[in-house]
This record gives sequence, C-alpha cells and structure tokens, in this order.
Amino acid sequence: MTGEALLQHYRTMPGFWDEMLSETGIRSEYRQVAATLQQLRTDDLLQKDRLAADLFMNQGITFTVYSEDKGIERIFPFDIIPRIIRAAEWEHIEKGIRQRLQALNLFLKDIYGNQQIIKDGIIPAELIASCPQYTREVHGIRPAHDIHVHIAGIDLIRGADGVFYVLEDNLRTPSGVSYMLENREVTKRLFPELLSGNKVQMVGNYPLMLHQNLVSLATRQIAQPVVVLLTPGIFNSAYYEHTFLARTMGIPLVEGRDLMVDNHKVYMKTTQGLQQVDVIYRRIDDEYLDPLVFRADSALGVSGLMSAYRKGNVVLVNAVGNGVADDKAIYAHVPDMIKYYLNEAPLIPNVPTYQMSDPDAFSHVFANIGSMVIKKTDQSGGYGMLMGNKAEERDIEVYRQQVAEDPRNFIAQPIITLSTVPCFLDGKLQSRHVDLRPFALCGPDGISIVPGGLTRVALREGSLVVNSSQGGGSKDTWIVDG
Amino acid sequence: MMLSRIADSLYWLDRYMERTDSILLILRTEYVLALDKGSEQPHSWRSVLEHFTPATESQILDWEYDTIRSLRHVITDADNNNSLRALLTRARENARGAQDQITKEMWEQVNHAYHSVNNPEFEKKLEGKDTLRLIDSMTEMITLYRGVTSSTMPRNMGWSFMNIGKHTERCMITLDMSNRYFREIGYDLNDARDILYWRQLLLSLSGYELHLKTYRNSQHTQNVADQVFLNRHFTRSLRYTLDKIGHYLQDVTDTNNPAEKDSLNRAFGRLHSKVRYAELDREGAFAPQQFITDIRNDLVRFTKLLTRVFFSYA
Repeated sequence: MTGEALLQHYRTMPGFWDEMLSETGIRSEYRQVAATLQQLRTDDLLQKDRLAADLFMNQGITFTVYSEDKGIERIFPFDIIPRIIRAAEWEHIEKGIRQRLQALNLFLKDIYGNQQIIKDGIIPAELIASCPQYTREVHGIRPAHDIHVHIAGIDLIRGADGVFYVLEDNLRTPSGVSYMLENREVTKRLFPELLSGNKVQMVGNYPLMLHQNLVSLATRQIAQPVVVLLTPGIFNSAYYEHTFLARTMGIPLVEGRDLMVDNHKVYMKTTQGLQQVDVIYRRIDDEYLDPLVFRADSALGVSGLMSAYRKGNVVLVNAVGNGVADDKAIYAHVPDMIKYYLNEAPLIPNVPTYQMSDPDAFSHVFANIGSMVIKKTDQSGGYGMLMGNKAEERDIEVYRQQVAEDPRNFIAQPIITLSTVPCFLDGKLQSRHVDLRPFALCGPDGISIVPGGLTRVALREGSLVVNSSQGGGSKDTWIVDG
Repeated sequence: MMLSRIADSLYWLDRYMERTDSILLILRTEYVLALDKGSEQPHSWRSVLEHFTPATESQILDWEYDTIRSLRHVITDADNNNSLRALLTRARENARGAQDQITKEMWEQVNHAYHSVNNPEFEKKLEGKDTLRLIDSMTEMITLYRGVTSSTMPRNMGWSFMNIGKHTERCMITLDMSNRYFREIGYDLNDARDILYWRQLLLSLSGYELHLKTYRNSQHTQNVADQVFLNRHFTRSLRYTLDKIGHYLQDVTDTNNPAEKDSLNRAFGRLHSKVRYAELDREGAFAPQQFITDIRNDLVRFTKLLTRVFFSYA
C-alpha cells in the first residue's frame, strides 16, 4: 500500500480531538510528516518499525514478563509516528506547569510547616489528616532551598475541545524520562531528514539539566558534591531508566546496601573506603527509604537515612512526604492552592473531580455512572479504576459498596475524551488515545521544563488506559513552530 | 573511587565471559574431534560433563555418547547452573548492575549475547545441522565483546578489576584442563605420549599453533608443561595470566591503598613466585601434581582475600 493510501484510510474517532486531522484537513504542524508519509510505502514503514524494535531490544530497554516460570523480555511498545505539538501551545503548557509547581511547592512547605492553608479554611483539615501519604515523620523538616518537588512529571490530556487539562500530578518518583530521550534517539535513526526539516526542539540536554540541578542542591560548600542515584536494584521495572540517567549524568548508581549512615551523615562504600554523599536522587518510594522510620521489613533503603535528612546532612530528591500533594483527593484542590498562594487563576485547568465523601457528589456520580470513571486515591498506573461506560452492573455494585464504606479513598471524574493520534499498527494508520507527561525540574535557580515530554499511547483499540503495565506504549513528542 | 559492589560486578562480569569463552573453545575442539572418530568409536563427552556441569553419574552414563544431548546440557539446560546460557545471564546481571560504569557499547554486546542464547530459535539450531556454526557464532559474540570492551572501556579501575577477573578465570581453567591431561599420564613428565594426545588440550586452550612454532623437539609432555605453565608469551599460560593479574593488582592497590594492601600483595607475590621461578629442566625438581594443587590453592586463597579487601560491601 502507498503512503497516500495509508493516509486516506486513516479514520478519526467522532467526538475526540485528533492531533493530526481537523475537520478542514491536516493540521499545519503535521503537514511535513504527512507529506513524508505519502512518499513511503507500507513496507518502508514496517521496516522502520522492525528497526525500532531491534534498537530497543539491543539496548536492553525492556521489561520482563513472567510466564511458566520463565522470564520473557519484552520491549516497551514504541510507535514510530511522532506526536506533534505547536510551539505556541507548548509555551502555554510550560507556563501552566511552572505555575502549578510553584503552588505545589508552597503547599508542601506549608502543610509540613504551620499549615496556614488549613487555618484559612482553603483545604479541610480532615482531608489532610485522612491522607495516607501525609508523612508525620517529616513535619517540621525544611528541605534545602525550601524545595520539595525537584522533579515532576505532570500528566496532561487534551479534551474534545482541544484544551489541555491536568490529569495527575506525579511529584514522588515520576518515571519515563529515559523513554522520552530514547524515543528521540530512535526517531533520529528512523526519520533523520524529517527531524531536522521540522526544526524540532531538542530534549537531549535533560540529563545535563538534571545533573546541574542536583549539584546545586548540595548543602556542603565543596567544589564537587557527591551526587548519587539510589535504585531498588536490577529487578525494578524502571531499572533501565535508573542506569540510563546515572550513566548520562556521570554519577554513581547505588543500591541501599552501598550506603550507610554514621553520625547522621550518609556514606557510600567504595574501594577507597567510605565517601560522604551530599545529594541522593532516590528512585525508591518513601516507605522503603529507612527501615528505622518506615517499613521495618524493607531491605531497599538505608538505616538512619531519615536522621541524616532531618539534620540537613543529605538532600533527598524528591523530598519525603510529597505524596500528600499528588493524592487524587487533594488534586481537586490544586486550583484553590494556585489562587491562595499565587493569587492567580490556573493556566491549565483540572479535570472536574468529585469527592466521594460529599453525599451529593456520590449520588450524582452513581446516577451518571455511564459517563464517569471512579478512581482509588491511593493507586496509580491505571489500577484501582472503574470505567463506568464499560463496567458491568455487578462491578458497579461492588464499587458502590466500597465507596460507601470508605468514601475518602475514592474520587470520580467524567470519562475524559483523550485526544487521538495516528499510530502505525498492523500495517495501517489507526487512531489511538494519548496523554502527555512533560518533565519539569525545580531548583534554586527556578523551574525548567524539557520541550516535549513523554507521549503515552493506549495501543488497544478503544482503550483510554495509556499505562505501560496495561497495554500502553509511547511515541516521540515534537515541539515545532507551526 | 568506585563502589565496592560495582568493582565486584565488573570482576565477575569478566570471569563469566571468560568462562563462557573457554568452555566454547573446549566444546568446539571436542565437537570437531567427535566428527573425526567415526561411528565405530563414538566420542565420549564424559570429561566435559564432569568438569563443567553438575550432571550426575547416571545422567553422564545416559548422555556421554549423545553429542547433541551433551551439548544441550552444557549450553542451555535450565538445570545446569553453569550452562553457557546461565553464565551469560549472570554476566548480563553483573553488567546490568554496573551499567553506569561500563560503556553503552559493551552493555549492548552483553545484552545481545544474552538475547541470542535466549531466542527460541537458538535451541533449534543446536539440534539441527548448524551446531558448529552455532558454537562459532557464540564465540564470535564473545570476541566482539572483547573487542568492543578493549576499544571503548576507559583504562581506569573498572578495567583493572575486569582484567583481574578475566585472568583469574583463565588461570583456573588452564589449571583444571591441564590437570585433566596430566592426571591421565600419572603426572609423569617423562611420559612419551605423542603430540596427538596433547593436541586436544592445546586446541582447547588455543595454543596449538604457538606450540608448533615454539617447540621443536619430541619431548612433548615437557614442552606442553612448559607452555601451559611457564610460557610468558602464551596468553593462557599460568605465567602470563599471573603476570597480568599482578599488573592490574598493582593498579588497584596503588589507587585505593587499602589497609590490607601488604597482606594482599604478599599472598599474590607467593603465588606468582611459585610460577615465575619454577624450573622444568632440573631433574626431579618439578612435580606437576603438587605444583597444580599448590597454585590452585594459592589462587583460591588470593581471590578470597581480594574479595574481602575490595568487595566486602554486604
């Protein structure tokens, strides 16, 4: 089949915003890509698809699926057609993320400090008190430069009206940045002329920005502070990303067993003896960080780490306790935080969210369940969700009981009409739903955001779940003038 | 400065890769020999199964004349924790754990080797007519790994630990393989076996051509002993491997200056001297059995000390 025929056969989904096609034809930012696709044949695209798969496999960008006691390595699915966003739209996204992170950092400083936002009645005290991610152990600890969120991955979606909405704030250990970078490297191999012809904004300097940011956080006044990346180990599903970042930043990749605490200082065990560590970019959840403070059965963390953190002898990135700010029930209050701390209106709106502890909201949600999604506030990755339009009566009843028993643990949102993009699947261009996770870095010198981010795509037909654990894949994301 | 765990991983990465390489060389030699023997006198894989696998006596009796079954056990069997597949898996795990310290190119080679032996097509090739090609393709992967490592890995401490690992493993294999052949002749240096007997050992250690070029008289047993134990130019001899270990040991002890530097150097010095100052030509002064046992014990003692000094992070 020719590329022209491929494009002609491409069908958008009624009621959804398509990133490539509008009612009047191909959007300006996609014109060059469409022109190139027209000149290619299906076989050319299949060959590029295979090349991409080989590149991912050879570099070990894989995850393991266990079946019949055998581990089978699979690559994270990658779709070769890029997702393209106009620079003008991106500028607005950047401003919105910057604004949101400023407010969230101020909220975390406040909530682990004198809690003025509660005293002023903006956020109900019981919402914080009942939040499992609120970490009493860090109350009163002021992280260096008062920065709690150093690295954020804020999930955005584009609705049917073409507007970007914030779906989720990931403020703990957001992952996926290595896929953003590797996707670009693979695209360079697949469509080199197209990349340079479109003047796509660069993402490759992210590791340098991150390294600079981490070094700037160190509290010891020395020329070369020791920065490390703490990983749970080779069996963690994001291990590839950990090695990728450590390698591209030139910092040691350590496991909990490589570190020890003595006299409230953290050291790593090297062939030259103990070396003091200044900054830990940890990819371990709070509860596994220190068995003396959190989970006693955790072998992933370091005993005494929290004491060194409390004394200010080591910087943890991200700070401990950030989960309270990206809790799904707190999420609904972020626009209020922006207004309260910055006296501004949110630049990127939230998806409307119903607190299930509100009896009116409870009734409304179950009366309109066919157009609602119910989410557990303490789960992520596409788990703990009920999609009202696809659920059976029995499942809805189970959720109704669970929500009634513990309403604080649930929120509901209208099912969002995630925008679609063309994907090259089974030799055809097919529309699939996507979201966008831009990565932002907050440091003493301000907030910087990499142009693009990770586009996650729900590869199953009709699916709105983009998580890799549930059949999702990814795409390269281009920011272009257009 | 290097994490102890990383130093340990790099040391074992190269030990596993070296072991894989050595076993492949031995398999190739044995396989080609098996083709030479014809159907009247089938080739026995007993010594390979005994040395490099945990096969029980009854399994060996079942498999020793079945080339494909034996090869499958050595190369891929899941219940053989020293199979080439298991060795490459462990090499990859170590490379993965030290991924920020090795080059991307190296990692891709190790990863490629791992995926190749875990490909479902791999076992089919083993049982088809492509057995020799399969062994050669694996050897080629290891050779590529060596080449890529040599041309991309910085000559820093990581390189030194890798080389200590590689040469330690090589020294062990040479000791074990030599022991197997010398035991067969009662460790008698005056035994009059012809070169055909020794050819298999020399091919298994990639030293046959060097032997033909270097040794001209007919005292093959003494010549082989000289080559595999004392020849400074043979890359799998005890002398060569220990010289290399000494070189890289000096680098890591000088750089790290550990508290137990002197005892480590003494342990290695004793071992090295036994080989360096050994003499074959003095009548009755060289007892191969004692020599092999002593060197092996000293080498084990040295590696334990090395582990304690540099890798004891647990």
